[in-house]
Amino acid sequence: MAIKKYNENVSLLENQKVNGKYYKLVFLSPKLSKNVRPGQFLQIRINGGNDPYLRRPFSYYRVSGERVEILYEVLGQGTSILAAKKKGDTLKVMGPLGNGFTAKIGKKKRILVAGGVGVPPLVFLSEKTPTEYLLVGTKSKAEVLPKTELKKVRAKVLFSTEDGTIGTKGFVTTLLEKIIMKEHPGELFIQTCGPKPMMRVVIMLARKYGIEGEASWDESMACGVGACLGCMVKTKAGLKRACADGPVFSFEDLDL
Amino acid sequence: MKIDLTTRIKTLTLKNPITVASGTFGTTDEYAGYVDCKKLGAIITKTITVKPRAGNPMPRICETAAGMLNAIGLQNKGLEDFVENKIPYFKKLGVPLIVSIAGESTEEFGMLAKTFDGMKDVVRALEVNLSCPNVETGGVNFMKKQERILDAVKAVRDQTCLLLFAKISPELGDVLEIAGKVIGQGVEGISLINTLRGMAVDLRSRSSRLAKDFGGLSGPAIKPVALRYVYQVKKEFRVPVIASGGIGSAQDALEFLIVGADLLAVGTANFVEPQATLHILKGIEEFCRKEKICSLNELRGSYRPAGEKGERCER
Repeated sequence: MAIKKYNENVSLLENQKVNGKYYKLVFLSPKLSKNVRPGQFLQIRINGGNDPYLRRPFSYYRVSGERVEILYEVLGQGTSILAAKKKGDTLKVMGPLGNGFTAKIGKKKRILVAGGVGVPPLVFLSEKTPTEYLLVGTKSKAEVLPKTELKKVRAKVLFSTEDGTIGTKGFVTTLLEKIIMKEHPGELFIQTCGPKPMMRVVIMLARKYGIEGEASWDESMACGVGACLGCMVKTKAGLKRACADGPVFSFEDLDL
Repeated sequence: MKIDLTTRIKTLTLKNPITVASGTFGTTDEYAGYVDCKKLGAIITKTITVKPRAGNPMPRICETAAGMLNAIGLQNKGLEDFVENKIPYFKKLGVPLIVSIAGESTEEFGMLAKTFDGMKDVVRALEVNLSCPNVETGGVNFMKKQERILDAVKAVRDQTCLLLFAKISPELGDVLEIAGKVIGQGVEGISLINTLRGMAVDLRSRSSRLAKDFGGLSGPAIKPVALRYVYQVKKEFRVPVIASGGIGSAQDALEFLIVGADLLAVGTANFVEPQATLHILKGIEEFCRKEKICSLNELRGSYRPAGEKGERCER
């Protein structure tokens, strides 16, 4: 199903820090909030000038009614400029782009494995669809979302931090394997988004235990609409565009 | 006031001078949802090669100040797929099509030309890409030997009477010298410029931010260089020129028109603003209206060289 895409100016309702790591940006848009699926993304033009020049892709964090929320981390020049934007400032935004996560997974139990910047779309997914577990891996407690941001999640939320400041100490994938061993692998469906080393291990575990699933697998993007061929992902059916054919790919399709 | 934007290049009449630079507008309809392609004067396709090409490994792109580096490597599904699956789309669209072609050998250049020569109902001109910085064969490394450029151009000319534009760049050597030689081989026009090779280094890994050491720089960063070459080539040879290199606004487009560009190819700007082409078109019309210019031909090539500065009228 082709979803209509839009490119419009939005006015910021909110743009502030929610914890030690993330900023939350909010705007209203009847168009950019229409038929959005968790895992889809937006391309934001940070400013009108030539530097930074390219748009930046951001996952949808939450959509309710016409309200669109994005959660982001300040990682470089573009996001620094974005973080300085105030309520009432405008941004040019394109979306919804790409293909989101599968919502209907039959009778299977959904396990979401999120790491770092991969947390927002999976929080969104766990709010929208029945989910058994939401596993969140971060470096430390400072990056964990405040409870108010997780109150609509209908899943067991388990944390794992590399320094052990909250939840299980270690990698989120260790936590995942423990859960897999507790459940019947054939009844599970894993969806993951986060750093590639994490997702590689998630996919390796899924293959080991014969579990189906999906990963949001992206590469640096320029256009976001499938034109520039900058963000290709290796799949069993050849190279696919993360922005237009993904960013969500089934574990089976990915050729890692 | 109606502004006449009609652009005539030899036998080709276009409703306006705005087109898209090769490789920046998708393969077919990627931008169809964002921009009314029928408003473009022409469409230049992504470069087609005889055999399918997978392109280079990731990362293929990285942003730099006022632009980006790319090392896509001419990824495309090859000539057969283009003819079978893409040509029908463009035929239906009805916008004059300029097909960008690149061979990995002289023979392939000829084969591509021969194929498109048989499709004159859709294909109105060929842009012979002699200057891709991201491929081993057929790109700038290969074409460093001037006789290979001339062989490729000759092979194309021998196979078609379609309007030909040779796409060259300063990476190949002296632009004016090469332009003169390819014109001598019978191309009607020149397309200037391709991306310029550049680098970007990641501090942690101390390696390239691309999977290759170099990538092609595009965007506003290269505009002054492109403008200079378009001006020089136009002045020296007075042949039709397709200008590209950082055209992202009406101001940019007008500057290229003033130095003589015939067609204005919007490239990287499409990635930033899918409607860049239409915004530029509107901006050109607004400028003309304000300046009481009824036809683009009054503007095209009206540049006053620095020596004549004293007599320049103050607007």
